[in-house]
Amino acid sequence: MSLQVFRHWIPTVKDAFDRTLMVAKFFCGLHVTNTFLCTCALAMGPSMLPTLNLTGSLVLVERLSIRFGKMASGEVVLIRSPEEPRKVVIKRIVGVEGDAVGNEEATAVVPKGHIWIEGDNKHNSRDSRQFGPVPYGLLEGRVFWVMWPPEDFGSVGRKVENNSLERSLVVKKHKRQKFQG
Amino acid sequence: MSRLFQFARQWKPIIKEGFSQSFLIAKFLCLLHVTNTHVCTPVLVYGPSMLPTLNLTGDVVLVEHLSQKFGKVGPGEVVVVRSPENPRKTVTKRIVAVEGESVTFLVEPALSDRSHTVVVPRGHVWIQGDNIYSSRDSRQFGPVPYGLILGKAFWRVWPPDGFGSL
Repeated sequence: MSLQVFRHWIPTVKDAFDRTLMVAKFFCGLHVTNTFLCTCALAMGPSMLPTLNLTGSLVLVERLSIRFGKMASGEVVLIRSPEEPRKVVIKRIVGVEGDAVGNEEATAVVPKGHIWIEGDNKHNSRDSRQFGPVPYGLLEGRVFWVMWPPEDFGSVGRKVENNSLERSLVVKKHKRQKFQG
Repeated sequence: MSRLFQFARQWKPIIKEGFSQSFLIAKFLCLLHVTNTHVCTPVLVYGPSMLPTLNLTGDVVLVEHLSQKFGKVGPGEVVVVRSPENPRKTVTKRIVAVEGESVTFLVEPALSDRSHTVVVPRGHVWIQGDNIYSSRDSRQFGPVPYGLILGKAFWRVWPPDGFGSL
């Protein structure tokens, strides 16, 4: 009698197994896409104001740039924290290997294989100014698009830091234009 | 025109078969990749920095990724880490100290007896090769963030006379 009950359930079990396998295959494909192509991240905290929100921005992170060639200075990146290995932070690359970073008081040269990251909100950001240059191998991806909130929807661009020399050149150019215009 | 249709009709089942076979291979490679990245993978290691534990000319070791994800990689274990000097290179060394511990090491054992003591900062580990005379490790490039650890080497597969746990 129990054998008949067993035979009755076989097609249902087979169906459930097939569906589970299909779901598993979908998650596998999603995981591979997330790891090698593009993934989402929720950014919270004040360190990247005004580029990203305090209460949370949903951003798209692409993983191709970090594999194929070096990242350039000025890009916003997703990086594993060197202080807490389970935490992933979003900061901007201010200097790559060989660059001199800093201001008039203190200058440092970024060593080989490392990058210097800083948050856009200099007053409230824990970054390379506290924990030093970060090995390139900790990079997880490049933030290129903000999905949410809707008023920030759009690309996240490169922003090259203006040091004081560049700023004075820009001022001179504007003065010249004003006279000529 | 009809010749083209006939041609297509002849080849359709073969193309379909080709598609399903390559899909099967792709699924297998996906599974293999997920296993390699998250569970266990074989790695070829070579170089003099881990003598006598690992050979100079090359050993194949099994590296498991689960311990590192659960934070259970500790001192005394051989780990594969991404090099902080060249992000495309992976190196195999032994963890000597973890965050908070102070480590005393010989700076240049071949040249002098000078030793130095360092406290390993938070979130970092101190790695050294077993062959300190010929190893480029934390004594040169400093403590390494825990996030750079790829996995723990626990078993040697090749050469056969070295088969066994590390």
